[in-house]
Amino acid sequence: MRPDPAQARALAERAVETTSADQAEALVMMGSTALTRFAGNRIHQNVAEDNAGIAIRAVVGTRTGVAATNHLDVDGVRDCSTAAVRAAMAAPQDPDFPGLPNPEPITELERRSAATAGFSAEERATAVRAIVDQSASRGLVAAGTVSVSEQAFAIANSNGISAAMPTTFARATVLSTGPDGGTGWASFSDRDVSALAPAALGDEAATLAERSANPGELEPGAYSVVLAPEAVADIVNFLAYAGFSAKAVEEGRSFMSGRLGEKLVSEAISITDDALAAETIGLTFDFEGVPKRVVNLIENGVAVSPVTDSYWSARTGSPNTGHALPAPNSYGPMPLNLEMAPGEETIDGLVAQVDMGVYVTRFHYVNIDEPVPVLLTGMTRDGTFLIENGRLTRPLKSLRFTQSAIAALRDVGGVTRDRKLLGQDAGATHVPGLLLRSFEFTGQTD
Amino acid sequence: MRETVEAALDAARVAGASYADARIVDTTDESVSVSNGRVEGVESSVSAGVGVRVLLEGAWGFASTADTSRSGVDDCARRATDIARASGLVPGNPVHLAELTPVIDTWHGPCQKDPFDVSIEDKLGVLLAADEYLRAEAAVKITKSKLGFQKVRKWFGSTEGSYIEQEYVESGGGIVAYAIKDGEVLPRSYPNSHGGQWVQGGWESIESLDLVGNAPRIAEEAAALLAAQSCPIGEVDLIIDATQLALQVHESIGHPTELDRVLGDETAFAGTSFLTLEDLGVLRYGSDHVSVTADATVPGSLGSFGYDDEGVPAQRDYLIRNGLFSGFLTSRESALAMNRTSNGCMRADGWNRMPLIRMTTVSLEPGEWSFDDLVADTDEGLYVETNNSWSIDDRRLNFQFACEIGWEIKGGKIGRMVKNPNYTGITPRFWNACDAVCSRDHWSVSGVPNCGKGEPMQVAHVAHGASPARFRGIRTGVGR
Repeated sequence: MRPDPAQARALAERAVETTSADQAEALVMMGSTALTRFAGNRIHQNVAEDNAGIAIRAVVGTRTGVAATNHLDVDGVRDCSTAAVRAAMAAPQDPDFPGLPNPEPITELERRSAATAGFSAEERATAVRAIVDQSASRGLVAAGTVSVSEQAFAIANSNGISAAMPTTFARATVLSTGPDGGTGWASFSDRDVSALAPAALGDEAATLAERSANPGELEPGAYSVVLAPEAVADIVNFLAYAGFSAKAVEEGRSFMSGRLGEKLVSEAISITDDALAAETIGLTFDFEGVPKRVVNLIENGVAVSPVTDSYWSARTGSPNTGHALPAPNSYGPMPLNLEMAPGEETIDGLVAQVDMGVYVTRFHYVNIDEPVPVLLTGMTRDGTFLIENGRLTRPLKSLRFTQSAIAALRDVGGVTRDRKLLGQDAGATHVPGLLLRSFEFTGQTD
Repeated sequence: MRETVEAALDAARVAGASYADARIVDTTDESVSVSNGRVEGVESSVSAGVGVRVLLEGAWGFASTADTSRSGVDDCARRATDIARASGLVPGNPVHLAELTPVIDTWHGPCQKDPFDVSIEDKLGVLLAADEYLRAEAAVKITKSKLGFQKVRKWFGSTEGSYIEQEYVESGGGIVAYAIKDGEVLPRSYPNSHGGQWVQGGWESIESLDLVGNAPRIAEEAAALLAAQSCPIGEVDLIIDATQLALQVHESIGHPTELDRVLGDETAFAGTSFLTLEDLGVLRYGSDHVSVTADATVPGSLGSFGYDDEGVPAQRDYLIRNGLFSGFLTSRESALAMNRTSNGCMRADGWNRMPLIRMTTVSLEPGEWSFDDLVADTDEGLYVETNNSWSIDDRRLNFQFACEIGWEIKGGKIGRMVKNPNYTGITPRFWNACDAVCSRDHWSVSGVPNCGKGEPMQVAHVAHGASPARFRGIRTGVGR
């Protein structure tokens, strides 16, 4: 079954019409995905999936229950609806439940690429060949993925919301490894696979792998860092996870809790969530069918506002920004289309400002030690270099950092003009490179 | 279902596959959650479909569909074969599979009280009662409690003649109290963090957790953490509880011994391993006190099954024996790199994923110490419980873990409480610093229902047995 937004919408509307609940919401997700994975310069895994499912949220009084199924025949959807109502009936009344949202105009944007939807297994293999050749021809070994997905989403509720949208997403990654410990990384993500230049991507990774051969040691301590966009994206995504939700702010778990309107980080830092941005990926409405609004999260270093959904909008008395995740949702609202404002610099220009520091291509396995300061620990990976006197001088082994993201963002030396889009099926993070004046490295690998 | 499996295999054969297997998987999930006195979610889901894996001219292809009609299955098998043909455009050495005797069998996991027969009201009743106790402590500002259940039925067949039906139920749950003050958020969980304790079993396993009875103690400990001292900075003798040690085993022994990682198949995502094939039987992974097994036959463990998702029987195998590196977790394909047969570790996250090498129940075998004797034998040290965060490098060497709670050890006695304890190390050095492991009386199996690996991402349900153990000279208080 190919993802079809009209079919998805009809299914969602029919499910809402036939429920016995006081109110009901149906979310239909149809997806066709394919991923070709390579390692050791050969394709070793190659998979495809077709699936479609419906999730029904039933409301009885102020009680809610959710059931989901991928059995989409009449009996399957009826059983799902019955299970949702049964779940709602079992729950106690929730006096804070504000009811399902009402319809609002939704911005319709083209987020589906026919090229991505039609990208075949042979075309994926051809792209892999072009990527791998760049490493194999230099005595390096390439690993990575080329993947495409096509999705159709539809949301309907008994208040009249009926939204549907097709999306596509294409991604390619490559990690090139050399015989002398050098590794290099490059990645691509876009709605349109036509924008993929596989040979150039393979060349970027292979060149970085050659350049990072024979990595050396670095004494742990605080250094200036120049972060490539992929590393910046990790930090921004953890800020979102830890602190950009109205739920986290309300519960006192966020760095923004009790500090809205205060300058928390450098004035060089502005972060918005903008699902309507030209380059981004994903839906223009949230998983309750509410239009996603542009939200200034941090503006010139000042904490402005978190994102909300219908529940947390009602709880906090602030507008619904349209950032609901699928129900039931214990995380609270979440921004999925983060944009960090660009600056005027280049990566080379940032490096030129550093007397002694570290260049980071990307991070690995980052996790939160403490939520309010967003104290993160993780490793660098695949292209870490020492910066001396304004230039990259030698490659470094992977370093461990233990650093508060909020503290690191207080002293920003510069922001690049060019940004990179790091995508996923449900959204994207669009970020520049950064120079941070103090970043604590606490160890390194063997 | 057997006819559908056979139809998929026939279609793959006709399309040219030299080998094929087909798995139909039917999964039912249910979860209930409560937070701060409010029912946050009551959710159920069902998902069923078929996945077909084929070898064609030595290259893999896999396709999956929710359409299990005859035409849907035929199309899926043909698509898998087409994908395998495309894989051959960027070939490596042809894939071969280690020998396996075909089997026709059924297997059922343990379950005394089917949790899907227990009413949602009863499940919520447990959580709401526990939540009330958690909220009784004024310093606790956020409470969370959750129960989850999964029933899985699988039908597997291969062109070599295997046909296996398996069915099991998993149950899990836990509670968390968060004490919050002046920008500090301090969680305390029971019986484990990250979703609690999970087992193969039924409602009886939830009853045995006694979430309600443990809630007051957990809330009290969370509140006490606000006044606790910070983690000592420096090198200490560290005693780690069984639940945190389970995650330590997971990250620094389980993952690095996955042979597909060693061979480079995971390089671009989660990474490789510091281990090589040449390390087998040579590397001193740990001290003499460290013996680690991979065992898919542990009753009631999340890591148990009758057969893996290649149809290989469940096995128990040593990964480390008295400190010596002794074995990998393998598949039929990877085991040939050692001229061995598979030890049965291929598992898939549902019908729509192809199997990967995954952990089963990877356990630190018990030693001889009682916990009290171990503390009494420690002059100055730190005892830590319950994981709070984790991170390890892409070769599984440099790790850093944070725990929810710790206590100083002074003069052989447990002393003052410590908040936000963390520690770091390098895998083989860390395990070689182990000089004592507690006995089977202190040994327990922790279920880990959230092990991520592979692209597209797969989440495996694995488990680890451990008892508290002591490690000499470990660096703590990193970044504090």
